Amino acid sequence: MKVDLTLGLKDVPGMLVKALAPISDRGGNILSVLHSRDSGERVEVNIVFRVRDQSMLDEILCSLEKNKIPVINAEVEGKKYYRKKSLSFIFIGHVIDKDIQDTIDRINALGKVSDVDVRMPDPVERSSVLLSVDVDEEKLPSLQSRVESICSKKEFILIREI
Amino acid sequence: MREVSIIIVGFGKIGRAVARTIASKDSDIAGEFGVRLKVVGICDMVGSVLDEGGIDLGKVAEKPWGKHKDFVGRKTIDVIRSLKADIVVEATPGNVSDGEPGLSHIKAALESGKNVVTSNKAPLVVAFRELKSLARRNGVDLRYEATVGGAIPIINLYESELKPNTINSILGVLNGTTNYILTKMSEEGVEFDAALKEAQNLGLAEPNPEYDVKGIDTAAKVVILSNALLGKNVSLKDVKIVGIDEITPEAVDLAKEYGFEIKLIGDVKNLEVSPRLVPREHPLNIPGNLNAIMLETDIAGPLTLVGAGAGPKETSSSILSDIIAIAKKL
Repeated sequence: MKVDLTLGLKDVPGMLVKALAPISDRGGNILSVLHSRDSGERVEVNIVFRVRDQSMLDEILCSLEKNKIPVINAEVEGKKYYRKKSLSFIFIGHVIDKDIQDTIDRINALGKVSDVDVRMPDPVERSSVLLSVDVDEEKLPSLQSRVESICSKKEFILIREI
Repeated sequence: MREVSIIIVGFGKIGRAVARTIASKDSDIAGEFGVRLKVVGICDMVGSVLDEGGIDLGKVAEKPWGKHKDFVGRKTIDVIRSLKADIVVEATPGNVSDGEPGLSHIKAALESGKNVVTSNKAPLVVAFRELKSLARRNGVDLRYEATVGGAIPIINLYESELKPNTINSILGVLNGTTNYILTKMSEEGVEFDAALKEAQNLGLAEPNPEYDVKGIDTAAKVVILSNALLGKNVSLKDVKIVGIDEITPEAVDLAKEYGFEIKLIGDVKNLEVSPRLVPREHPLNIPGNLNAIMLETDIAGPLTLVGAGAGPKETSSSILSDIIAIAKKL
């Protein structure tokens, strides 16, 4: 996968090495590095590199974030790239009876339900259902409000991640 | 040695613990701060014990109320207004719908030029801005560390050490009873009702537990933290509240299997109280009836304080710290 990354670095010695290390340390093959120093204290650095797969790229982006290196833009094979977040939700209520397929479809419109775990002590009792959802980081707020809206309409108790 | 005179209002578990703590720490306080704390009045619903020379706290805290030689039938509000004192400690139980009777007690104290230390959330939930401004106008102090997190010094820590920081978020496990119930459900796989009953048997939950399990107590603390630390002017009706009384054992099991614990979280920035999935290694995953408060600040970064969230003795630690803070300025 060819990755085109634009970083905003502080114009101080050693910053470029600090920014490149997370890429090379994790096996990224750096093809080119360009930097333009026309905007005050920050320098925009464009790095093109190859990675084996998405998990390698996510590791690199995670490491850049930990080192407080701002990523201005990321593109993979020419398309804007958003990091995936994995979230869990628990619903308590008549989750199966109230059209669980509809619940999943509405969440899938924003992300991808990757796991559904149902606990139903008795057919007439309320069930407890855990859903794992993968979502692009930028769609996180929309997903949260959609899940809240589903739970409010279908009268589920919602337990979401902190 | 400077004498600082105190009226204790409300002589239940907390009021008595304050009296015991003042008595037991008397010489330490005198040695450390050059101040002698003298309790001149103790008031309760049925009457008051008054002694301008200083009440013998060792005796009064242990005896049945009303049998004391200096017991008089005077109304609390009259004692607050007329008895000469530097500080009123307000430790009555509160009603969050109207703040009474604490609200009237605190107003009377501030209006008569007395500093106030309180463990009572209700008056602050109902009239935070009004009481702070009344204190300012009368040139006295209103301190309330004991209202949130029991022994955890969150408000004084912020006031004395963290003021230059911008707080980006405040999340907390702010109610020991609900945390005990959820811990019990997780560790022993019991139903909510059984865990609640055990909490009641241990004296951790009230006979009417709604205030705790429906999240109202946590919401009251969210209101106080929002007003005190974030400078807002919010009340209970601004907080979205979901309690823990509908949490199933199956939900607790599911959470555990996927690496979480369910905790009742007060989210101060977003004015929300709700059960949330807390990752097992998260600082807010604390057991039993402990409380924890986690701040995200721009300079100091993340800070988490963990401690006893309730209990008369632990709460009296926060009250005593507020008393000393005022005494040092008198």
